[in-house]
Amino acid sequence: MKFDVMLTGVGGEGVLTTQVMIARAANIEGHYVRGVQLHGLAQRGGVIPTFVRFGSEKEVSSPGIMQANADLILAFEPLEAVRATYYARKDKTTFVIDDNPLVPIYANILNVPYPSLNEIIKRIKPFAKEIHVLNASQLGVEKFGSAIFGNTILVGAVTGGGLLPLRENSLREAIKVSAPRYVEGNIKAFELGLQLGREKLSRR
Amino acid sequence: MTKVETTVDVLEEPGKKVVLLGNEAIVRGALEAGVGFVAAYPGTPSSEVPMTFSAIAKKVGLYFEYSTNEKVAFEAVTGAAWSGVRAMSCQKHFGLNVAADSILPVAVTGVRAGLVVMVADDPSGWSSAQSEEDTRYYARMFKMPMLEPSNPQECLDFTRLAFEISEEFQVPVFLRTTTKVSHSIGTVKLGKMKKPRTKGRFEKDPDNYYNLRPHLQVLHDRLNKKLEQIEEKYGLELNKVFPGKGKIGIITLGVSFEYAKEALLELGLNPPIAKINLTHPISKSFVANFIKDKEAVLVLEELEPILEDFVKQVAKEVNPNLVIHGKDMLPRYDEYNLERVIPALEKVFGKKLGIDFADHKEKVASASKGSPPRKPVLCPGCPHRSTFYAVKKVFGNETIYAGDIGCYILGVFEPINMQDFIVSMGAGIGVSHGISIVSDQDIVAFVGDSTFFHAGMPALLNYKFNDFGKTPLVVVLDNAITAMTGHQPHPGSGFTGMGEKVEAVKIEEVAKALGAEVRVSNAFSQKQLIEALRELKDIKGPKVLISRGECRLLTRRKFRAKGLTMPNFQIDQEKCTKCGICTNDFACPAIVKATMKLGEEPVYSIDPETCLGCAVCVQICPEGAIHAVKKEGEK
Repeated sequence: MKFDVMLTGVGGEGVLTTQVMIARAANIEGHYVRGVQLHGLAQRGGVIPTFVRFGSEKEVSSPGIMQANADLILAFEPLEAVRATYYARKDKTTFVIDDNPLVPIYANILNVPYPSLNEIIKRIKPFAKEIHVLNASQLGVEKFGSAIFGNTILVGAVTGGGLLPLRENSLREAIKVSAPRYVEGNIKAFELGLQLGREKLSRR
Repeated sequence: MTKVETTVDVLEEPGKKVVLLGNEAIVRGALEAGVGFVAAYPGTPSSEVPMTFSAIAKKVGLYFEYSTNEKVAFEAVTGAAWSGVRAMSCQKHFGLNVAADSILPVAVTGVRAGLVVMVADDPSGWSSAQSEEDTRYYARMFKMPMLEPSNPQECLDFTRLAFEISEEFQVPVFLRTTTKVSHSIGTVKLGKMKKPRTKGRFEKDPDNYYNLRPHLQVLHDRLNKKLEQIEEKYGLELNKVFPGKGKIGIITLGVSFEYAKEALLELGLNPPIAKINLTHPISKSFVANFIKDKEAVLVLEELEPILEDFVKQVAKEVNPNLVIHGKDMLPRYDEYNLERVIPALEKVFGKKLGIDFADHKEKVASASKGSPPRKPVLCPGCPHRSTFYAVKKVFGNETIYAGDIGCYILGVFEPINMQDFIVSMGAGIGVSHGISIVSDQDIVAFVGDSTFFHAGMPALLNYKFNDFGKTPLVVVLDNAITAMTGHQPHPGSGFTGMGEKVEAVKIEEVAKALGAEVRVSNAFSQKQLIEALRELKDIKGPKVLISRGECRLLTRRKFRAKGLTMPNFQIDQEKCTKCGICTNDFACPAIVKATMKLGEEPVYSIDPETCLGCAVCVQICPEGAIHAVKKEGEK
C-alpha cells in the first residue's frame, strides 16, 4: 500500500504544520513515511508544494510525488489547486479545496484577474476524479477566531469523508503533539471537520 | 524564539520510530555521538540543523552558538575539537565558500576530538539565488572524507559515523546533503544519546599544529595517507551493493538513490544498484568490483559528473568496453526527480512506463494559463517594503540598486525592481565600490543587519580607505534578526543562540567606527526615511542609513504572546479614488482589489487576517483614505 498526499498553499498558511500532523498520524499507524518540506525563500508568500507519502518502506522512497500520481491534493488556496494539477490525474486524484482565495499581488500589478471558483473547478476537472470545496478557513475564523484552524478542519474533513486512509484516533494523537499550544482548539476544529467530512465528502 | 515543527521528536527515547526532517535527524545523530560544541551561521537548506540545536542545547547540556559568519563558526568548532570536545559546524553551500579559508589548514593539521562539517547544497536554488554549487569538489580539494546520506535515517546514522571516522583518523569530516535530503521527512529509528562532553583542554602540540615548511610537507603526506587508510577501511564497508538481475547496473548516491529505487519499482525493473555513501574518497575497489562484469551502467548524481568521471577512470583499467551513461541523459544543472530519472532509465533499459510526462506538463501549463503568478513577496507589514518605497521616491529609477542576501532579495521582483545584482553576503557594498570608482552613476547598496555583521563591515571600511569616487550610499535594513532563514539572532539582536541575553551591538556605532556618516531612521516612517535620505544624498564620502524596524512577524509573535491583537486598518470607500498606488506601487499583499459584480468598479480593501498593522499604507495613500480601525471601547 502506498498513499501520496500533496498539500499546496501559500507560505504562512500553516501547510507545514498540517503536513507534520498527517506524517505523525501515519507514523503512529506504523507506516513508513517520506515527504518534502521546503523552507526559506519559498515560504515568503510564495507557493509551497509539500508532500507526505506513506506506505511500505519498499514502495515509498522518493521524497517527492511523481507527476500525475497524487492520491489526494489538499489545496489551502483555490488557485494553487490549479497549479497542483501537475501531480494529478483523472482516474486517481481527489481534490479537496479550501475556498480561501489569496489574491497574489501580481493579479493587480500585471493586471491578470484572479479566476472565479467555477473557472478554477473547470480547469481542474480534466485532472480530477473528485473535487470537493469547503469553507474551512471561514469556519476557522467564525468558530475559533482564526483562519489557521481551517487547516485542522480540512484534515478532519478528509479523515471523516474517508479520503485519507488514516484513523481518527491517530490524527487526534498527532494533533496533540503537533500543536501543543493550541490543542483544545485544534481538536475541536478536527471534530468539526470530521463531522463536515462525514456529511459532505463521504463516498458511502 | 525558534520554531521547528518537530523538535520534540528529536529527543525521543532510543528504539522509538519517529518522523524527522533530514536536518533534525542530523541533530539526533550528533547527539548520539555526544557532540558538545556546535556553531553555525544560518543558511537554508541547512538552517533547521542550528535551529534545532538552538532549541534543545540547554536541555541536553551542549554548547551552541550562532557565530557572526561561517568562517568564524568553523574556527570556533576547530578550537573546541582541538581541545578534545566533539564539535560540529553547519552551513549551506555558500557558507562553505566563506569558511573555506580556514577549513583547508585544519584538514592538514588534523583534529583531536571528532569534528564534523555539515554542508547542504541547494541544486535548483529553492532557498538560494546566485548559483548552483557542488561542494563535493571541496572534499577533493581539501582532501577531506565526505559522507552523503540519502534520507533522514541515513542523516542520523552518517552523522554519528562521521564523528567516529573523524576521531579515528584525526581529520575533519564532511557531511553533505542536498535540499531534498535536508528538507525531506522520513521515518527514523532512534538510537541512544551520549551525554555531551563540553569541557576540554588545549595541549600544545607542535608535531600537529606547526604547519610551516618543511613540516607542512610532512603533514600533507600524512593527510594523503589518512585518506588512503580511510578508503581501505571504509570503502567496501560503507558503500552498498543491492543485488539484482542483468548486466546493466545503476551507480548512485544521495537523494538520486531514492529516486532510482522508486523509479525502478514503477518500471518493474530489478537491476543491481551500487550506492556510494562515502563520496570522498570513493573506493576504487568497490567501483571496480561492481563494474567488472557489467555491460553498461547509469550513473545517477545531481549536478557535477564527479562519480561518473571516477567510474570512467576505473572502467579504463577493469572493463574498457563498459558503456557509461549519466550526464549524456540527465542535466548537469537543477535537481533530479522521478520525472527526470524515469526517462533515463527507460532509455537505458529499453522499457516504457507509458506516462508521457511532457504531454502532461503541457496540459497543466494550459490549465494554469492566464492565472496570476504567485512569486515570493515581502510579507505584509515588512519594514523593507517601506524602505524600498522611500528610497525609490528619493533616488528614482535610474540609480543603481545593489542587492544582497536576505529577505530583501525579494525586492528583485516588480513592482520594487531594486536589486540590480546579487552576488554574495556583503558583496553589494563591495561591488558598488568598484562601480563608483569607474562611473559617476548614483548607487544605493542595500544590506541586511545580519549580512552587515557577516561580511559587510570590511567592504564598508574599504570605502573609507579608498575614498576616490562618488561614494555609494549604504542602506542597512535593520529588522533586528536574521529573518529569511527563520529568525536567528545576530550580534545586534541582544540574545544568543542559547537564548542568553547579551549587550546588543549597535550598527550605527560600528558604521561610525568604520568611517561613515550615519543616519538612523524608523523604517515605518516615510517622512523620517525621506528626510534622512535627502540629507545623505548630498553628503560626500562613506555614508550609511540605518533603516530600523523590527521584522513584523516577530512583532506579531510578541503581540500574540501578550494576548494583544495587532492594530488593523481599513480603506474609507468615500475617499478612495481607486488610483491603485497601494496595490500596484506599494503592493502590500494585505491590500485587496476585488470586483464584486461583473462590470462594476473594483473595491479596494484591507484583509484583516493578513494585515500586520505597520501603518505605512496610511502614509503613502495620497487621498488620506486609509485609517486605523477603532477597537471596541476606543473613541
